[in-house]
Amino acid sequence: MATIAFENVSKTFSGQAEVRALDGINLAIGEGEFVALLGPSGCGKSTLLNLLAGFEKTTEGTLLFDGKTVTRAGPDRGVVFQEAALFPWLNVWQNVIFGPQVQGVARAEYESKARNLLKLVGLECFADALPVQLSGGMRQRVGIARVLAMSPRALLMDEPFGALDAQTRLSMQQLLLDVWQSLGTTVLFVTHDIDEAILLSDRICVMSARPGRIIRTIPITLPRPRSIASLTSTDFMAYKARIMADMKVSAAPI
Amino acid sequence: MSISTGPLASRQQSSARPAASMVSPAMRRSLRQILLAVVLPVVVIAIWQWAGNGGSLFGGVLPTPDRVWQAWKVWAFGTTGLSLNPYSGTWLANLLFSAERVGKGFAAAILVAVPVGLAIGWNRIASGALDPTVQLLRPIPITAWLPFSIAVFGIRDMGAVFLIALGAFYPIVVNTAQGARDIERNLVRAAMMMGAGRWTILRRVVLPASLPSIFTGLRIGLGIAWTAVIVAEMVAVKSGLGYVLWDAYYVGRMDVVIADMATIGLLGLISDRVILLIEHWVLAWRRLQSFQS
Repeated sequence: MATIAFENVSKTFSGQAEVRALDGINLAIGEGEFVALLGPSGCGKSTLLNLLAGFEKTTEGTLLFDGKTVTRAGPDRGVVFQEAALFPWLNVWQNVIFGPQVQGVARAEYESKARNLLKLVGLECFADALPVQLSGGMRQRVGIARVLAMSPRALLMDEPFGALDAQTRLSMQQLLLDVWQSLGTTVLFVTHDIDEAILLSDRICVMSARPGRIIRTIPITLPRPRSIASLTSTDFMAYKARIMADMKVSAAPI
Repeated sequence: MSISTGPLASRQQSSARPAASMVSPAMRRSLRQILLAVVLPVVVIAIWQWAGNGGSLFGGVLPTPDRVWQAWKVWAFGTTGLSLNPYSGTWLANLLFSAERVGKGFAAAILVAVPVGLAIGWNRIASGALDPTVQLLRPIPITAWLPFSIAVFGIRDMGAVFLIALGAFYPIVVNTAQGARDIERNLVRAAMMMGAGRWTILRRVVLPASLPSIFTGLRIGLGIAWTAVIVAEMVAVKSGLGYVLWDAYYVGRMDVVIADMATIGLLGLISDRVILLIEHWVLAWRRLQSFQS
């Protein structure tokens, strides 16, 4: 009874040289589960997320979301991009209400929600600011708020904190943990950061490159609620050691 | 908090300074800019005046600046005494004729070129259907359209407006298409992910994202519009700055010719500044960006 199901999904990019980005992906993600896709850059983990988001089409296999084949992008799957991808000509408030607005939600309905979300991500004072006036971390908070404004069934996050400095990343991870622990949305989280994957997820899928395959699935049973303090626990270290060993196995010559 | 503090900081600095001099640094800077800009024209005009000491240059063909200025005054304000100047007092009327044609033609060009450009840049079918034709017609200079225009529209306003619209159309359509084509992929994906349909994406994402290129096209197009209006008026209508220019040349009034040229230059400059001003206002979100970097 998974909400997300990859069944034997492959993706080949045709062009001058064919690239097999994903090969025989099988992955089931249950309701409310937090799954991290971990792998080196170029292993196809972003492609996997783009397929689920509906930005790309599968070459083979079936991809189901809530039991229905994914054909196009939609507000049930909120995507958080690495560079936030906010509309630079809209201010923070306009960016956050963009989703509900274009879906024709009544203003009274989305306004109070958007206000609460801005408060949740700590940007209630920056409603009138333009994206360029914000720091990278603040932009990413807006990126999360605008997705939550649509009440998506799942969050798809594509290295959302990859471009942030270490300290900002920690605070964003804490924020995401808090948000997720209160909302319980299904999350597919793409990262190349082992610490981040362990800290956040219920399960880590380790991927190998060329062709992209899931080579190992590791359940993370660290107690919840978690916080960035978990990063230094002995259990955490044990997981990290194991995953580092796993990733070495898959380290292919480039 | 990295709210850009550029302009604020400099304003605070200048107000904190004791009021020893009444001129702020910013004002002094712009004053220096104006002085620098004026040097070259003043020198050229001075040499021109000095070289044509006797009243004119090149065997009497080219009048000196003071003669041009006199002719301009008569052209603009008329004269109280008996005047042989057939253009006396017609400056504003002719200027408005030309400006109105540019306004109409340019507006028509924008109305057609922006939607067509967005379609070409955004939709593969529209691009395949429209772009080749645009590229095929584009190399034909507007001057080559003159006989066609006169044959179809006659010696009337419509002919001039047609040429202006046609001339301004190409740079606007090409730049708009480029802007729509170069849109950041993730912005479109973000809009799709939030449930926006194709039309909403075109209107609320592709159009604003293309505005910087559209304005580039507008500025180039406006320059061509002024070229087109002069060409059209020289041949295809009987009023406006282009008509006066050619007519004055025929009757040997080089002073009026030069005053006319200066008028065209001035109008071109002013209209370009107007576009810049609008761009400044519409693309405020971009200006902030350049502050920070």
